[in-house]
Amino acid sequence: MFSAMIRPLFKNKKFIIGFSIFLLFLFLGIFGPVFYRVDPTEMTWDVEQPPSLTHPLGTDTYGRDILAQLLHGIRSSLYIGFLAAIISLVIGTIIGSFSAVKGGIVDDTLMALTNIVLTTPSILIAILIASYLKVRSIEMVAVILGLFQWPWFARAIRAQLMSVMSREYVYLSVMAGYSDLRLVIEDLIPTIATYAFMSFVLFINGGIMGEAGLSLIGLGPTQGISLGLMLQWAVLMEAVRRGLWWWFVPPGVAIVALTSSLLVISTAMDEVFNPRLREE
Amino acid sequence: MGSKSMLKYLLRRFIFLLVTYIVATTIVFILPRAIPGNPLAQLLSNLSRVAQANPEAIRAAERNLMEEFGLGKPLYIQYIEFIGKALRGDLGTSITYYPRKVIDLIIPVIPWTLALLLPATIVAWILGNSLGAWAAYRRNTWIDKGVLTASLILSQIPYYWLGMIFIFFFGVKLNWLPVQGAYSQGTIPSLSWSFFIDVAKHYILPFLSIVVSAMGGWAIGMRLMVIYELGSDYAMFSEYLGMKDRRIFRYVFRNSLLPQITGLALSLGGALGGALITEIVFNYPGTGYLLFRALTTLDYPLIQGIFVILIASIYIANFVVDFLYALIDPRIRIGQEA
Repeated sequence: MFSAMIRPLFKNKKFIIGFSIFLLFLFLGIFGPVFYRVDPTEMTWDVEQPPSLTHPLGTDTYGRDILAQLLHGIRSSLYIGFLAAIISLVIGTIIGSFSAVKGGIVDDTLMALTNIVLTTPSILIAILIASYLKVRSIEMVAVILGLFQWPWFARAIRAQLMSVMSREYVYLSVMAGYSDLRLVIEDLIPTIATYAFMSFVLFINGGIMGEAGLSLIGLGPTQGISLGLMLQWAVLMEAVRRGLWWWFVPPGVAIVALTSSLLVISTAMDEVFNPRLREE
Repeated sequence: MGSKSMLKYLLRRFIFLLVTYIVATTIVFILPRAIPGNPLAQLLSNLSRVAQANPEAIRAAERNLMEEFGLGKPLYIQYIEFIGKALRGDLGTSITYYPRKVIDLIIPVIPWTLALLLPATIVAWILGNSLGAWAAYRRNTWIDKGVLTASLILSQIPYYWLGMIFIFFFGVKLNWLPVQGAYSQGTIPSLSWSFFIDVAKHYILPFLSIVVSAMGGWAIGMRLMVIYELGSDYAMFSEYLGMKDRRIFRYVFRNSLLPQITGLALSLGGALGGALITEIVFNYPGTGYLLFRALTTLDYPLIQGIFVILIASIYIANFVVDFLYALIDPRIRIGQEA
């Protein structure tokens, strides 16, 4: 079943392009810091240098190597994205499937909660929570972001499962006395697998974007390097108005490339699994 | 059907918004009390650190803080008082700008944010939807592919980063436009022509950065929606009847636009988040910039106050959009689930 799902994807040009770009950055994030062994936090006297042979992407106000920061930044942004995506996916799946299976008051309550979180801008709540935490680890930032991006997914899952629930094989399982949990895991989850995977990709995207936004206003991880933190330093040190383009362009390009590739992957998947959209 | 069902629909939306607002304020209430490492204690110690400068004012601020957070009282009384005050618009006293009331600090900056965000969001919405519909109309041509690729990338550019690129390119390199603030330093806001021009010049870059980065998302959504609609029964049927393409397309366009209106309501929240950060990059004196200053000085009453106001304004915007939507699409009024 799995290979039947994967094979058509690799016939889609969009998917191949998106996936290659994503792989490239994944590669940079995982192996970049291994091969380019420069400490991204080490301060040198080479201050605010434009790109050169010693510093391929130049240095910042503290003489830190930008390329080293970028590679470590890609790594932690991906990590935050994955972690936030897993959290969102789990919450969304649990709430969506419980809502669909249990129905009645459980459904009403869960959907009211979902609608409230959906209407309340998640970035604001994330900012608020982050502002109360004095020390924020990379994982903590991922949790804060992951906690608020599930509502649209939960609603979609619920709608999809509701329609699946009225099919015969599900009736059979219910008559056979399956528990709700077994029903969800054996009969229902497989029907939403492709949609969940697409959403997972978008959640990673949201996590990466969210980290950049939080960090820029000074609420990112309190330690370490991330793409958002690089931008924050660039803003604090007026890199933009002083024309130090090598400082703020690379992290932005990395964010856009990563998130665009993820978006392309998910739209390509939509095309493959949604015959109506397929190009003739 | 008619005005009665409309009223019922609006009432239901209103109640939902009220509940949501109370939930949101409740979160604002609970967070500082639930998170370990009591921020209030930290705040008081911060205050006493600067107490040498002005002991009198600091003590007053301290007393005020204790009273405002109602720390001596039972939690449920604190809660009722907090919600009651929030609904009346009393958001407490700022610490950094003591003894100014939070609400008095927020009100003057709101027009700047609204003036930036609302026109930019609407312009982006119109441009994006037109672009998306055009791409769908020219499906599988180079126009479609170009629009789609550009939209995909644009939609992934964070507002504020595009702002930085604009500042660097149009401000620093070409020196065409001012790169920070809402008007030149030293000028006094007045109703004169020269001040208006000055403001307009400062407005262009932040406005453009929001429009350009928000456009792509709308275009992608609209393109998809039109393609879906074109495959629907009524569009097919009209085609079999031999109706002109342009005419079918007009119907399709109208029907595709409706979901985009709900999308507009939902996106206002996100757009606001983006605009807040854009303001920081441009030192634009709106809500985002005030929030940034409140965050750097850990002025919790001010932070909370900004949130209560922002969340309220998003709900009001949602309500207005819902109202417009119901006005345009009668199906919404009858038997729609919340």
